[in-house]
Amino acid sequence: MMKNKIRRMINNMPLNKVRFWIQLSMFVLFAYGGYVLIDFGSSIPIFACPYNSETGATCYFMPLQHQLAMPANVLFGAAAISVLVGLLTFVAWFVVLNKAWCGYACPFGTLQDWITALRKKLGIRYGTYSQAQFEKLSKIKYIFLAIVIVIPLLMGVGVLGREWSGAFCQICPARVISPMFSGDFSQWKIDFSTVTSMILTTIGVLFAAVFFVGSFIKKRFFCFFCPMSALHYTMSDLSLLKLRKDGDKCTKCGDCYKVCDMQIKDIADDVISTNILRDDCMFCMKCVAACPEDDALHVDILNMRVFSSSKEGFAKRMGMDRLEKNDDR
Amino acid sequence: MTDNIKHTIETPKQKQNRHKAMEAVKVLNMIKEEFKEPPKAMNYFYDLFERVYCKQEPLHADKVKVGTMCIQIPSEIIYALDGVPLRLCNGFYTDDEIGSDLMPSKSCPLVKATVGHLASGNFSDKPDIIFSPTTCDQKTKAGAIVENFGYEVMDVDFPRTKESEESREYWRRSVRKFSHDLSHSLGKKLTKKNLQASIQKIGYAQTLYHKLNDLRKNRFVPILGKDMLMVTNAFFFDRIDNWITAVEELLEEIEQRAKNQLHAGGKISPRIVYTGSPPIFPNYKIPLIIEQSDAIIVADETCSSNRMFNDRVSVDEWFLNDMVDSIADKYLKGCTCPIFTKNNDRIRRIIDLVKSYHADGVIYQAFAGCQVYEMEQRSVLAAMEKEGIAILYIESDYSPSQQGQLTTRVEAFIESLKNRRRMKR
Repeated sequence: MMKNKIRRMINNMPLNKVRFWIQLSMFVLFAYGGYVLIDFGSSIPIFACPYNSETGATCYFMPLQHQLAMPANVLFGAAAISVLVGLLTFVAWFVVLNKAWCGYACPFGTLQDWITALRKKLGIRYGTYSQAQFEKLSKIKYIFLAIVIVIPLLMGVGVLGREWSGAFCQICPARVISPMFSGDFSQWKIDFSTVTSMILTTIGVLFAAVFFVGSFIKKRFFCFFCPMSALHYTMSDLSLLKLRKDGDKCTKCGDCYKVCDMQIKDIADDVISTNILRDDCMFCMKCVAACPEDDALHVDILNMRVFSSSKEGFAKRMGMDRLEKNDDR
Repeated sequence: MTDNIKHTIETPKQKQNRHKAMEAVKVLNMIKEEFKEPPKAMNYFYDLFERVYCKQEPLHADKVKVGTMCIQIPSEIIYALDGVPLRLCNGFYTDDEIGSDLMPSKSCPLVKATVGHLASGNFSDKPDIIFSPTTCDQKTKAGAIVENFGYEVMDVDFPRTKESEESREYWRRSVRKFSHDLSHSLGKKLTKKNLQASIQKIGYAQTLYHKLNDLRKNRFVPILGKDMLMVTNAFFFDRIDNWITAVEELLEEIEQRAKNQLHAGGKISPRIVYTGSPPIFPNYKIPLIIEQSDAIIVADETCSSNRMFNDRVSVDEWFLNDMVDSIADKYLKGCTCPIFTKNNDRIRRIIDLVKSYHADGVIYQAFAGCQVYEMEQRSVLAAMEKEGIAILYIESDYSPSQQGQLTTRVEAFIESLKNRRRMKR
């Protein structure tokens, strides 16, 4: 009885509000944790960028690139243990929240949601990609992931020089933007020391500028291209947190697709897969909140349902559970 | 002597009204009197149908009436623009006969009746403008026939596939154009505020429907299918606020009945899912035969009822264009109409209804002449067989003549379901 009551309360929750507060606290934690000496280590699966001196953790890509750039004999020798520990820590963090790291914890993701909120306040409508554009653009993140992994390896075998160090960080807009959280604007510059650095940092600064314009127009603009999202996807099956779908209950009405910031079509059209998490997904759970069928979409921890779509919850969230009457009798 | 007797000759319209009233009264009496204890709150609906169909009372004299030829014309947009949507789909045999002269003999009785009604021009609430979505062949062509009677008819392009991104975009464009056209002809602007209010009002109406429906999943079914059909059918033409109040009252009563474990059927009445061509008042022939033969319709998959209410509009950002697109998606993506190229969604839906409403069998009724439902019959039957779900397929039309034969078939099916239930015990 009590259990049902709690379950109902969770299923009826105003997800957007709950999410806003979680994101805000996570943002404070990861962008300003440094002020109170919080440090979650350097294997965090989000863009908690260490270029921001007050960060409460370090994005895993930073140490990963440094480790992979070590000469092969070191990488597979003395350093192997620390590389492995870093990776395992990363996986351990990831396994807890799955891609919800993106939708709830990533400060860079949250920043985009706030830009979206600003656009909404100004009464401007969002942009979308056509299906064809979507399919092309959504592959870019794998190219970035390749940059994260391959360039350091090439440095390790001596093909590329020192100036390629942390190549992805140099082009990453989070490197330019995150320090601004603590008032540091110094990353908005181009490094002229070598041609490579010049090109990479120019891309970084341009990317940061495009980031602001892009995420003003398109919801979660950057997440389409995020290599962290790609890396997440490769190990999402390991995670305890699952986004599942019961295709039998789905009427393909498309309500979930309609609210999806990432325009993932499978969420509505795929009635076969039970695991409905896709590579672009950021696990914001808006689809679950917008699904009007009981239990068609649900979030599970292992096999326990923690948040399910429900008719009642849907009506509450859409303002369809009551009516302010203005008579036409 | 004979000078005192005044001879008044009945006009064709009066005759039509009298015939329709006779049809309506017959069905209303059956609904009211031949079943045990109909809910008290149903009286609103019984009266409503009597007022409209026996007494020809107008309900919307003060409003612009927007006729719709099919379910896909978004009523959210019509209400937002202060019009009244009137679904023109018709269930009268009298009108069917008038329409028979205007349509090929083997066409669908629903379309014939709709055309016949429009040809007579005899309405208590006459549509000022008609929107005709290009759904099935017969309705598509009927729009053009109706136009010849002097109505302002506007076609709304509807795609016949729904999986592709192209059709989605195509339909969104159609709906945008529709809202533009309607706004133009009603002289009112669609705004963020009026559209949101109307989406939420219809959403609320759907919430009420869903709450009622959920109670039909109970072991003790508190309301019969024939009453639910009237509730949903009234949504075609009733004043929406009145409808909402009436359903709120009905819901309260039905919730109480559910608490008291009141059962509208008999001890082993089989539970039926009804699917196929839409039963529209007063053509409740098959549903009434089913429930008179001691079965209960616990759920349906028809466009006059469940399909009209089931899928909801979800909006992420309440901007005008976003709302219009959301509305468009609801009327295309969730639709299980057999006009679409393939229709596994409809099969999945029926199976889901059978499971979630614990049904014993499915009755699939197609109008003779409703080609798409007739064509889809085989695939649905095969799918049900695969799932081990009992199904009866029947063809019928609006004529009052086949009653005996239909009753025999339905009764035999229900008897076999009862036997299954007995064996299970």
